[in-house]
Amino acid sequence: MRKSILLSLLVATPLFGQALGQVQIPPPSQSAQGEVAVTIYNNNLALVQDRRQIDVPSGRSRQEFPDVSAQIRPETVTLSGQGVGIVEQNFDFDLLSPQALMQKAVGETITLVRTNPANGAETRERARVLAANGGVVLQIGPRIEVLRDDGLPVRVIFDRVPENLRARPTLSVTVESATGGRRPVTLTYLTPGLGWSADYVALFDEGAGRMDVQGWITLTNSSGTPYVAAETLLVAGAVGEGQQQANYRPPNRGTAPLRAAGTETSGRERLGDFYLYPLPERTTIANRQTKQVSFLDVHGTPAVRAYEYRNSWMGTAEQPQSANTVLRFSSARDQGLGDALPAGTVRVYQRDARGNPQFVGESPIGHTPMGSELGLTTGQAFDVKVHPVVERRERLGDERWRTTMRYTLTNARPNDVTVDVLQAGLWGDTRIVAESMPSQRRSADEALYRVPVPANGSATVTATFDTRY
Amino acid sequence: MRGGRALLCLWLALAGGPALAQGTVTSARPDRVAVTVYRDPRRSSEQAPNLNYMGGFALISETRTIAIPAGTSEIRFEGVAGGIVPQSAIVTGLPEGLIERNRDAYLLSATSLIDRSLGRRVHLRRTSRTTGAVVEQDAIVRSGADGALVLQTAAGFEALRCTGLAETPIYDEVPPGLSARPTLSVRARASRPVNATVTLSYIATNFDWQANYVATLSPAGDRLDLFAWLTLANGDETGFVDADTQAVAGGVNRSNENDEVPPDVEDLELTCWPWETTSDIPYEAFSRQEMGRGFIDSDGEENIVLTGSRISQPNLASTSPVTVMTAQQEDLGDLKLYRIPERVTVAAHSQKQVALLQRSGVRVRMVHRRRVYNSESLSEAPAGRYLITRNRTAEGLGLPLPAGGVMLFVDAGERPILVGQGSIGDHAVGEDVEIAVGDAPGVRTRLTPVSREGTVRTYELLVTNDRADPVDFEAEIATGGRVRADRRLSRRRGMPLWTVTVPANGSATLRYRVTRDESR
Repeated sequence: MRKSILLSLLVATPLFGQALGQVQIPPPSQSAQGEVAVTIYNNNLALVQDRRQIDVPSGRSRQEFPDVSAQIRPETVTLSGQGVGIVEQNFDFDLLSPQALMQKAVGETITLVRTNPANGAETRERARVLAANGGVVLQIGPRIEVLRDDGLPVRVIFDRVPENLRARPTLSVTVESATGGRRPVTLTYLTPGLGWSADYVALFDEGAGRMDVQGWITLTNSSGTPYVAAETLLVAGAVGEGQQQANYRPPNRGTAPLRAAGTETSGRERLGDFYLYPLPERTTIANRQTKQVSFLDVHGTPAVRAYEYRNSWMGTAEQPQSANTVLRFSSARDQGLGDALPAGTVRVYQRDARGNPQFVGESPIGHTPMGSELGLTTGQAFDVKVHPVVERRERLGDERWRTTMRYTLTNARPNDVTVDVLQAGLWGDTRIVAESMPSQRRSADEALYRVPVPANGSATVTATFDTRY
Repeated sequence: MRGGRALLCLWLALAGGPALAQGTVTSARPDRVAVTVYRDPRRSSEQAPNLNYMGGFALISETRTIAIPAGTSEIRFEGVAGGIVPQSAIVTGLPEGLIERNRDAYLLSATSLIDRSLGRRVHLRRTSRTTGAVVEQDAIVRSGADGALVLQTAAGFEALRCTGLAETPIYDEVPPGLSARPTLSVRARASRPVNATVTLSYIATNFDWQANYVATLSPAGDRLDLFAWLTLANGDETGFVDADTQAVAGGVNRSNENDEVPPDVEDLELTCWPWETTSDIPYEAFSRQEMGRGFIDSDGEENIVLTGSRISQPNLASTSPVTVMTAQQEDLGDLKLYRIPERVTVAAHSQKQVALLQRSGVRVRMVHRRRVYNSESLSEAPAGRYLITRNRTAEGLGLPLPAGGVMLFVDAGERPILVGQGSIGDHAVGEDVEIAVGDAPGVRTRLTPVSREGTVRTYELLVTNDRADPVDFEAEIATGGRVRADRRLSRRRGMPLWTVTVPANGSATLRYRVTRDESR
């Protein structure tokens, strides 16, 4: 490797020699990063720790750190190293462009190469830039001219690039050291643009009542910088910056997936409230890359399909409504996935008649402790429908009404099913006067009917509510 | 010689960067592909798929044969759909499993060429406009691609496109890690070289499908020949040749998260120093340069061009066609899967139709209907026409009916005439089927408020029929109160229902009273 660096230097130097008064910027494939460790949180935030070898002379010196995140939060930068004291930290984002180059050249002398349009002959002369405000005013010997006022081709050659014009935003730290020499320093900073979530692939075998689940960590990098051979740690959680906002769900997307929170502790690495997911080996996280690494592989977890329908108020549906298809399983050690599940999306597949897995729906889950009961709404059943109808509404007195609901359930499947029909909107003070089957009051607002519907058959439930409105 | 070669290899490896330090295997195209198209979950059955912006998606399963060398290698899958949802990808069949899978969206463009060439040697080619003489010289890229290109030449520092000369940078090679399209790759390990059959499955956006029913009503109006197309559309730039093709009906949930990392393609804009000459009026004397991109808008400006070839609506204005291939239906959990029995090509930016189902002699009823509300003033309206049947074998149906548009024709001897258009949602076996096919201009209704005494209102509903044959009419009385009428009423959907046969060129009248439970 050393030899090859030498070689590439040899290729570069004879051409330009001493003209390079600049700090060398390595080509992009050659990162200036050292040993990089990245800790990524769920909320678009990452902590980058970059351990580089730098030459520090004794006394004060300015050290540049290229290849830091393009979205670095410069105020969070910390540099530490043996015997290195920080004088100041700078973050320069005055970028090198022709305009900046010309503006910084005001008062300086440049070289003009004029090309004769008739014969292509070149003539050179030196010129001093007097101003670069909407047109460049030059002093050439005793005369004053505006650059390319005659519209003829002129090359402008600058002797050098001013110190603080950068190709990319650059972090520099002025350090003071008692002794000179090469030593490791550690650069730490926070950056947005890196984030991760989990993606689960669940292959459900309905006949066996089992499913296989694979978990993938999906991390994305849109920070503008690649992280080369980074040791990567993912933290299942969001730090600071307030709470994660509540998931917005459009209506009829079903009940939230977490049905009962678990209380078991997973065997995974943990830090306080957070589970940690270290990637097994160093990896390069390229810019604009989505990277996935497996973290969970469970076979034969018990899972059942269930049907749910929630009537959010006492209303009539114009047509029968498809019941939600819900996949129920557990994350418990016994009869479950046996792990804590970081937030992400669960995609459910089922095999078709030819044995090929087909996608049957997906559902997002939040951070789910081990031992939880989950019910994922993956879609709406084609063959299982519920038709809620307001049969009668009678006024009993001031602010008191009697509402009779009829729910007609149909099942076009060749097997018996049980549908959980939830009537919501009970407002807490609603009494159930009569019902054709016993209900379970899930909360002040909701009554639950567990309705068995025979294969290729139908069932009817009626209930009369004494309501306030 | 040997040493020189080794050095060259080393140098190449270095130039290639870490990505090439391991073996890279490229799989150009799948050997076999299966496409399962899902509908847009947010599109109602009344809406037809929008070919320019499809909200549905597809599950694409590809089988590829890949020669994997021993050691760690990067396997790149080319020719995947542009709308791939990278986190949905499933790769199976790798002999020893995979280390990680990646999807790179940093694309090859004029901008990324400059960006990735920063600090590298390029060539600057100048062509004389007079003589055509070409001068090439070496240069090192010294600026980022944000709006400018500053080059270092043997003479010093120069800016591209500020000279008035015909000049362009020339690159020796494409910098590593840039691809023409977003590319999915996996890093895998093998202890010995192996020829593996790898299956890659993923979800891709920008697909949709629906059923298109072509129904022909018998002249008597009691029998229906029903034919349906399975219309599927691919809005992706990738086509799938000879694909096993399926379509899935039923509700499939997709979470609303952002699926994709948008490809990183920025316009290259080269700016120069101030150009004004003495004949120009100067502007903004002290304008400053812009700051770098990470500081103005961390997301950068994306220029996503929605391309979509406009496809003319398929001409369905004919009665049931003769088809030789019909999709086969099977149950998939709670969904219905329609399989196209032969392999077909799902071309890029295209719509395709295959026969979905065919039934003849379906027993139907045409009903005219109006729903009346408590009205303060006289209201006059045509009755709506509804085609009514039940999805049972007894009626000649009895099969799942996926959602789609309906075109209703009447076989009028020489040529069919379109008499209505409507749509239906998903209908399971055994369900009542009602298709609204438009208004009947000749069957009209007039609701007259007759009197109002306290909470009791009296209405008169008149139905007239201009046809030479009797029509079935029903009125749904949508009111909150108790209804009493001078005829027998039944109930449906919680509403009183008046059913009557209006004689040919005749009329029928209903008088009813509504007693409202009013708070005052």
